[in-house]
Amino acid sequence: MIRYYRLALAAHFRQGRILYFLTVLGVALGVAAVLAIQIINRSAVGAFRGSVQAISSDADLSILGKSGPFPEEVFLKALDDPSVERAWPIVRSEVRVESDSGSFFLDIYGLDLTAPMRIDWRGEADQLGAALSQEGWIAVSTPLARRMGWRAGDRFEATLGVERLQFRIGALIDIQRYSPQASSKLAVMDIAQLQHLQGGRGTLHQIDLRLRREGGAARSAEPPPAQTLRAARDRLQDRLGPSLQVLSLDDRENQARDLLGAFRLNLTALSLISLFVGLFLIYASTQASLVRRRAEFGLLRSLGASRRQVLGLILGEVTLLALLGVALGVPLGYWLATLRIDLVSATISNIYLLNEIESVQAPPQLLATAASIGVLGALLGALLPAWDMSRRHPRDLLSAITLREGISAATRPLAALGLGLLTATGAWYLAWGQGWKPAGFVLGIGLLAAIPMASPLAVKAICSRVRLRGFGLSYSVRTLSLQLQKTSTAVATLSIAVCMLIGITLMIGSFRKTVETWMSSTVQADVYVAAESWRGGARSDARLSDDLVKRMADFPGVEAIDRLRSRQVYSGPFRIGLAGVDVALPGGEQRFPLMEGDMDAAYRSALEGGVFISEPLARRSGLGVGDPLPLTVPWGEAKLPVAGIYYDYASERGAAVVDWSTYQELFGPGPPSNVALYLAAGIDAEASAEQLRQAFSEYPLRFNSNRRLRRMALEIFDQTFAVVRILQAMSLLIAVCGITLTLLILARERVSELALYRALGARRLQIFAIFVGKGLGMALLALLLGTIGGLALAAILIYVINRDYFGWTIQAHWPWASLAAQVASIFAAALLAAVYPALRASRTPAAELAKDDS
Amino acid sequence: MQKKGSAPVLAFENVCKIYTSGSGWRSVLNSVYFEVASGRSISVSGRSGSGKSTLLNLAAGIDLPTSGRVLVEGRDLSSLNERARTRLRRDRIGMVFQFFHLLSHLSVEENVVLPELIAGGRSRQFRPRAQELLERVGLADRCGDNIQKLSGGEMQRVAICRALLRRPRLILADEPTGSLDDESSAGVMELMLRLVREEGSTLIFVTHSPELASLADEALSIHSGVLEPAPAFAARSEVGSASLSPGEAHSL
Repeated sequence: MIRYYRLALAAHFRQGRILYFLTVLGVALGVAAVLAIQIINRSAVGAFRGSVQAISSDADLSILGKSGPFPEEVFLKALDDPSVERAWPIVRSEVRVESDSGSFFLDIYGLDLTAPMRIDWRGEADQLGAALSQEGWIAVSTPLARRMGWRAGDRFEATLGVERLQFRIGALIDIQRYSPQASSKLAVMDIAQLQHLQGGRGTLHQIDLRLRREGGAARSAEPPPAQTLRAARDRLQDRLGPSLQVLSLDDRENQARDLLGAFRLNLTALSLISLFVGLFLIYASTQASLVRRRAEFGLLRSLGASRRQVLGLILGEVTLLALLGVALGVPLGYWLATLRIDLVSATISNIYLLNEIESVQAPPQLLATAASIGVLGALLGALLPAWDMSRRHPRDLLSAITLREGISAATRPLAALGLGLLTATGAWYLAWGQGWKPAGFVLGIGLLAAIPMASPLAVKAICSRVRLRGFGLSYSVRTLSLQLQKTSTAVATLSIAVCMLIGITLMIGSFRKTVETWMSSTVQADVYVAAESWRGGARSDARLSDDLVKRMADFPGVEAIDRLRSRQVYSGPFRIGLAGVDVALPGGEQRFPLMEGDMDAAYRSALEGGVFISEPLARRSGLGVGDPLPLTVPWGEAKLPVAGIYYDYASERGAAVVDWSTYQELFGPGPPSNVALYLAAGIDAEASAEQLRQAFSEYPLRFNSNRRLRRMALEIFDQTFAVVRILQAMSLLIAVCGITLTLLILARERVSELALYRALGARRLQIFAIFVGKGLGMALLALLLGTIGGLALAAILIYVINRDYFGWTIQAHWPWASLAAQVASIFAAALLAAVYPALRASRTPAAELAKDDS
Repeated sequence: MQKKGSAPVLAFENVCKIYTSGSGWRSVLNSVYFEVASGRSISVSGRSGSGKSTLLNLAAGIDLPTSGRVLVEGRDLSSLNERARTRLRRDRIGMVFQFFHLLSHLSVEENVVLPELIAGGRSRQFRPRAQELLERVGLADRCGDNIQKLSGGEMQRVAICRALLRRPRLILADEPTGSLDDESSAGVMELMLRLVREEGSTLIFVTHSPELASLADEALSIHSGVLEPAPAFAARSEVGSASLSPGEAHSL
């Protein structure tokens, strides 16, 4: 058989190149979607791991504060542990660098440069003396220096809070040589110097520990056994108390992985839908290819080929095509990942507070997984038509009469099965699934599986009922039910894409509108002020000064001022953002739109030491009004009563807000990182922001008007969903290829019918229009099914997945303009998809009638 | 026989048809001359591959001659572009096929009105005409039936109705009874001839059967691409084979 296949291969490929091309395309797009998302997911975690490795590669364990910096005394306490061989204190700071080549945040690590480390941050010419004594000495990465045009000895300015700092490049270190995925925007300086720049506080951000090895120096290069590591970690954790956490490198990576969990899961689910849609395309193209070659299989069978041999022949061919698809899909996926990595990187950096992704990672095992998915997916897609063809009787295969499609009789049972599946998943969710986080995805899968099952019945029921009015659209739609197996597969494929498109558009539209409404309620002040070096998400230690805040409060037109301090803290196992604000600010209650709790009582409670918690935190922790919220603070654990639960869409991990005075009690006095200015009535916020900018031009500050801040927030929102839109477009593209494929098959298989039309006087244009009508008819049916499915999917996304995964209440909203644009794009795509097959069909000569008298 | 002063419905003038494939070629029709006057019925018989179907394809404008002229109502088909030939076929010619070529997704009545739908009409407007034709062929009560429920003879009667729907001047039938048994064949043929006469159309049909060929006003046969009166018919016909010589069109 292999010899036969080798003989016939070239001819098959020549004759059925369009069908083969579509199979290859189906595999390529599916593989590309999955691979791109996996590359992005892996790179996101890899960027974090790379940067951690660059700094802490010598360490077995790291001590980190659960509520920010911790006292230096912890260092001595850690060293005191008998299992600890060595310890490195670390201080971190994030500064903002402005330059002609662009502005960026530089992550500076303050290290003890006298200690031996794997990466010698002192540079090739040992500059320890300079590093310790020269003010502003800093080691930066070679790639960053190259990008910025920096050389050793150059100086640059950066801002931290309201301070402008001068740095001198002392050493250029090729960090990525040691840790390829490490961020290039990572710099190192002497710990004492950095502490001095931060205001000389006696605190640390991290302590890296190296454990003693049994067997001495000979085994020092090897990591300690996992059991030893765990035991040392647990002992140190007990010793250091709950306000600190002791983590291994893997623990830290897992934390980052958990942090991105929902984000990664969503992208993976979407990429799998693209793959699912791709499978349909493979199914349809394989089926078409096999039908075309049925006589060949009939002949082989009658010459003695077994069913298994025929099946093997078909699947072998599909494997070959799948490999071609993989060969195309892998570079395409890599290209897609690099194309929008900036957007994903911005999301990861802005929302999840992790390192930006600078390079994409595609390790061989990932490529192998993607290739396996492509080949197995293609085999799965082709299995049913291949099995069907191999089990046919040679007599039927050799018969000139078109093979009867079995699907016509199966439409009702298939639809009933789909409905049953949908009902079963729905019932399961209501009965058992509600407490389980991924339950929403099970519902979604049930829905997406039910759509293709319902498609044949829908196509048959609708098309056969169309009243024939003329040789136009009604005729096109009516004839769609003729080759139900093919048309319903194309309709099913497009329906899934439409379902995804409509469902996600509704979800994003609703989410966007909800965020807009929420911002119009919570973003009440007129001008928002923060240091240039401050970043959202309560991670930065960039602060304003009390003096500056006072000057702003006295600025003409400013009626009231709201201060904000924030940091990342732990509440039980959850890492959340905690902020302190002036709760008593007149009219400030709108900042916290309460979903639970009485407004007056909540405010009284907050002023007396209570805490407002965000909806996602309330859902994750299961806390209600009046319950105590545990918070890890520098001196241990505080428990604050929940004053109210407010709607919040800024962080899926959860946030909490206390009164300014409570925050000072918990973390000590300090200046705010942000202030919000309330202007007197009638004063223009934009003009006022500009005046403030000029008045405080000596300080590195950002003044954003209310309107600008909202716009920026929505830009970040849109950026977050950019990748989702790419995946939507890919699914639509695959589905549209399905329409082209189906119409090509119809044009090929119904030659005699087309020739009859021509013999009866139909013009080419009429045949062309009939085929375009078929394309539009399929789009119409897919739109109908997809819209129904899309509404259900939107409900699942809004009311189940978003609530369970992110803890957000989203108000349903109809983004009519987006929906209309998408409907138009679906029709335009279907129209384009129909053009080539319609051209082919219109060229059918009437003389073909004589050739096929079946 | 052609009436004086009126153009023949169909005329072949020195028509040759050669098919080429690769480096080879095959002559199917060789200097064919004939004219068909309005209202006449002509049968064409011959062995398989003798060029009967080619003759009909040329008459329908589906194919074009390699040399010579095919005229339908005086219009040279070779001088018309593809679009004009299609329009001519749609408006002036009806076709009946051996394998009926009825569409299984359409009802009996819808199959009959198909040419009108293609011509841009609405099915509703032509229902009365379709029903009238179906009544004349005895299928009035089968209008809404699925085509697959009909017998072979019934299917061909529907195909005849379809060919007559737009009152064409010329009906071309390619072995219209080739798929039917002898009993059905005679019935269908007689019915077709009667309807064509009643409608005032001209009929050219291809058949293998001498009996059916003899039902036509005139009978021709093709041998090796040459058209001549059928032997049996020539004996009783006033038209002899000598009238098929070049330059002397055979008026039928």
